[in-house]
Amino acid sequence: MLLKVENLQAQVEEKQILKGLNLEVKPGEVHAIMGPNGSGKSTFASVLAGREDYEVTAGSVAFNGEDLLEMDPEERARKGLFLAFQYPVEIPGVSNKLFMQTAVNAVREEKGLPPLDMFDFDEYAREKIKLLDMRADLLERSVNVGFSGGEKKRNDIFQMALLEPKLCILDETDSGLDIDALRIVANGVNALRSPERGFIVVTHYQRLLDYIKPDHVHVLYNGRIVKSGGFELVHELEEHGYDDIIQQHQGE
Amino acid sequence: MAKKFTPVMQSAMTHYAQLSDDLNKAESPYLTALRQSAKAQFLEQGFPTRRDEDWGYTKLTDFVQTHFRLQGISHLTQADILPFLPSFGATRIVLVDGWFSESLSDDLSALPKGVTIESFEDLQQVPESAVQLQAHQQDVAQEPFAVMNTMLLNDGVVIQIDKHAVLEMPLFVLHVQTQPNHLSNLRNRITVGEYADVTLVEAYVSLSDDLCALTNVVSEIDIASHARVKQVVLQQQNKQSYYFNNQFVYQAEHSGFNTLYAGLGCVTSRHQNHVYMNGEHIETIQNSACYATGAQTVDSRSYTEHNQEHGFSQQLHKYVLDGEAVGVFNGMIKVARAAQKTDGQMDNKNLLLSDSAQMDTKPQLEIYADDVKCSHGSATGQINKEQIFYLQARGIPRPQAVRMITEAFLLEPVEVVSHGAIREWVAQILSQTLRG
Repeated sequence: MLLKVENLQAQVEEKQILKGLNLEVKPGEVHAIMGPNGSGKSTFASVLAGREDYEVTAGSVAFNGEDLLEMDPEERARKGLFLAFQYPVEIPGVSNKLFMQTAVNAVREEKGLPPLDMFDFDEYAREKIKLLDMRADLLERSVNVGFSGGEKKRNDIFQMALLEPKLCILDETDSGLDIDALRIVANGVNALRSPERGFIVVTHYQRLLDYIKPDHVHVLYNGRIVKSGGFELVHELEEHGYDDIIQQHQGE
Repeated sequence: MAKKFTPVMQSAMTHYAQLSDDLNKAESPYLTALRQSAKAQFLEQGFPTRRDEDWGYTKLTDFVQTHFRLQGISHLTQADILPFLPSFGATRIVLVDGWFSESLSDDLSALPKGVTIESFEDLQQVPESAVQLQAHQQDVAQEPFAVMNTMLLNDGVVIQIDKHAVLEMPLFVLHVQTQPNHLSNLRNRITVGEYADVTLVEAYVSLSDDLCALTNVVSEIDIASHARVKQVVLQQQNKQSYYFNNQFVYQAEHSGFNTLYAGLGCVTSRHQNHVYMNGEHIETIQNSACYATGAQTVDSRSYTEHNQEHGFSQQLHKYVLDGEAVGVFNGMIKVARAAQKTDGQMDNKNLLLSDSAQMDTKPQLEIYADDVKCSHGSATGQINKEQIFYLQARGIPRPQAVRMITEAFLLEPVEVVSHGAIREWVAQILSQTLRG
């Protein structure tokens, strides 16, 4: 089991958001987590990545059998967990190249591999840029500074490609993207799919999922997964919206 | 009404006045007169107190406790100064405790064509040269530490760049403090002829970490039309010492002055640019990158006068403050009535790494012309938590993430240095200092 989430409960600023979430992800699987605004989707992604200000009050998360919640954010990343941000952060003055070389070498250190020097890293990065069909000047620019919304999301996917994580969590990566950017992001994700790698795609809309075609779809509402199914659930939700589900579970 | 001073301050003033008198014994009546007139002013005005608006945040209460004096000459070897020598090729001038050292400097009689470098001490034997040394006495007399400098005139560097001389090799001036309680009083005079081009790097260092010394510098820099001066001042003295530097810069039409101050050392330091843009189409860039921690106070300020049309000035002053450190910035851009089409930008940005660090900042504009483009701004904050988390989420440990973000912040003003090897050198020193 790649990820095993049991009865996860978490709060932000004393407000209970996750109220007993269960989820299992096996290597090679792609899970989509959908749900109305405020249902706890982004909180779930943030708790998995270890963001400050999110307090886990009950439950457990095992990542490859290890207690994920005990780890610092950097340790989670080194062990192969990757979060693509809803809002990738700008870091003025730090080049993408320095940032990613440092990150790749941190992950390599964890795996007991020697660090890549400037030249080896450059070569490695260029391969990935090609794979994802991105602009070559990406590496020289400051992290996300002056990037359009689409470029920022693509930069996150590029980082994902470089770090070769075991579990990729995409937190509303599709929000604010036009159709072309969406396709590029989706293609990037598809290029990285492998039998060893799991995905959790958190989204509000079905359009990204049409490209990615998840194996499992879950509906999160009021801090719990209230419905699970296959890809067909996406279209069901598209047709009927979340209203039925909200009505069924209101007052719980 | 005469200013009132505390007994401690009064005692320090008397001490420095006596020091001035001691200097007058051997030499030209001209210098004696100069010193004496400065001494009269100094005794009347005294040291600034916290009631002086420009000194409200840079306290001198500790400074006046120590009576710095001229100690004997100490002899250093090449090996002693080796750690302070830069990685780039340069013509080297070394001053030890404020005195020009012939043995540690390059042979100044074999300089490239168009450059003359002399020590102030040599020059003052020749009365008519000495006269040039007070070209801007009126402006100099406005600053308390510059007045003290005049009162205690003894040595410094005099550099003359002939017109059309383009120096490929930067000039590197190293100031080494070696003795406790010593006062280095430096008076520099730099004149750059028309169409000349020179790069000047000054480094202020201490030989050891525990000696407390005072460096008081006044530089007068005259830049003729179409000439370019690029300057880097690295202040890296130990955390016991004091540094005061007043640079008076006079630019003629179509000239360029580009300066970077890196303020890293000293318990109290204050670097001041006074730039007079006295012609049309002048370009002036003044940046600073300051880092202070512990009980340090780092003060950097600029006074920029746009006096003619089509002037361009740009400033970026960045501070990183940790511990209990205090950062002080004060910038004034003054645009005269005649200075239409002025483009003046001044920006101050500060990063506080601890809750007890403090930044006091005051960017100012005073505009008398009606067709200008001027702006000033200041922002002080802590590192964005989201930035740290972003780096952590990619596997970078928190301390390293903080360092990367801080370094990138502080190194931005360094980009103004056009000479690649010098830029690398300064950037590396800044990075090393941040890493502690």
